[in-house]
Amino acid sequence: MEAVNTYLLSVTLASLLVNFAISLYAMFFKPHYVKKVIALTILGDTVNTFAIYIGYRRWVEQRPPRVPVLTDLRPEAIEEFKNLAVDPLPQALVLTAIVIGLAVILFLVFLGWILYSHYRTLDMREIKRLKG
Amino acid sequence: MRLVEVIVLISTVLAVALLITVGFEHLVPSERVRPVAEFYLNATYNQYELRNYTAMSPEAVTAIVWDFRGLDTLFETSVFYLALIAGLALTRGLLLERAEKSGHGLSIIVRTVTRITAPMIVAVGASIGLHGHLTPGGGFQGGSVIAVLPMVVIVVFSASFLVIKGVTTTKLLVVRSLGLTGIGLTAIAVFLVGITLHMPAYVFQNMAKPDAQISMPYSVAGALISGTLWFFNIFEMFAVAAGFSIAFIALMLARTLESSRGE
Repeated sequence: MEAVNTYLLSVTLASLLVNFAISLYAMFFKPHYVKKVIALTILGDTVNTFAIYIGYRRWVEQRPPRVPVLTDLRPEAIEEFKNLAVDPLPQALVLTAIVIGLAVILFLVFLGWILYSHYRTLDMREIKRLKG
Repeated sequence: MRLVEVIVLISTVLAVALLITVGFEHLVPSERVRPVAEFYLNATYNQYELRNYTAMSPEAVTAIVWDFRGLDTLFETSVFYLALIAGLALTRGLLLERAEKSGHGLSIIVRTVTRITAPMIVAVGASIGLHGHLTPGGGFQGGSVIAVLPMVVIVVFSASFLVIKGVTTTKLLVVRSLGLTGIGLTAIAVFLVGITLHMPAYVFQNMAKPDAQISMPYSVAGALISGTLWFFNIFEMFAVAAGFSIAFIALMLARTLESSRGE
């Protein structure tokens, strides 16, 4: 049971790393601007998922981890909550990171639109050629 | 392959290997969380032992976002605002032109369904935002849900429908600025009370601290509002909803004008 648990967590980790590699590849080597932006969103989501994964918790005594939301306000429930809930800090940081990422993508979309109205193309090779 | 590509690939592999080396212990989560997380979980709603450190919010994530690490969130909100301003500055020349003609939009079935679902979208968003200190969600998520409405309206009716109906980017910017002002005022509310009463108080203070005994009321008429958290959530909801609406309207209007100019 313990080994299965570790194996499943490792599958998550491995797929995150593969996702990371694919998005980096697309961001560097795909020539189209929109594809680069899409790759950037995939990269951001992968990093965010990784942060959530870091804050995850193993099953404690065959009980699954809980959401960091207290549903029972009695004093004796807090102890159990503390022993079962996942780490809320990465979730709060990811919330911040998502907003910053959205802001960056918003700016990049506007920038792409300006690029298109200047060059009539979003192909980076073309833009590089037209620049000179 | 060119030299640059090889260098990029090799340095990426080395960087990921370095990350794995540093974080090797934590690559598979353990049964215990880190001590700081344990403190947050213990203090998020604890009026019995940690009366001077609690945020009085059953939702630990909101407690961290707006109380324990509130300053981060304040700056994050301003980053989002700056990106919006930058986007508007890039499309400035185009938005000054008025969009006169209204399109026909989609079929009457789609338009009627949109009219029925519009209040529901706003209700769901407001519920997520106003219960941010009790359930997963908060001001940002609620505002994003509300911002779905202008996007749907733009797609179903027409790009300039909102502008013709009087929902201009200028008015939305005013709403956005009012939301940000509300966030700022909530951040210094306890501090101002402290100055008036000649008692020590902090900026971004929510509940009483050991050396600053002023605190926001954590419940009003029996309903838990968690002090400043409820106010932060509602102002952030307005700010985010208006901000996203500005972005959608600006992008869609710019596109429409571009295509009409090209004809």
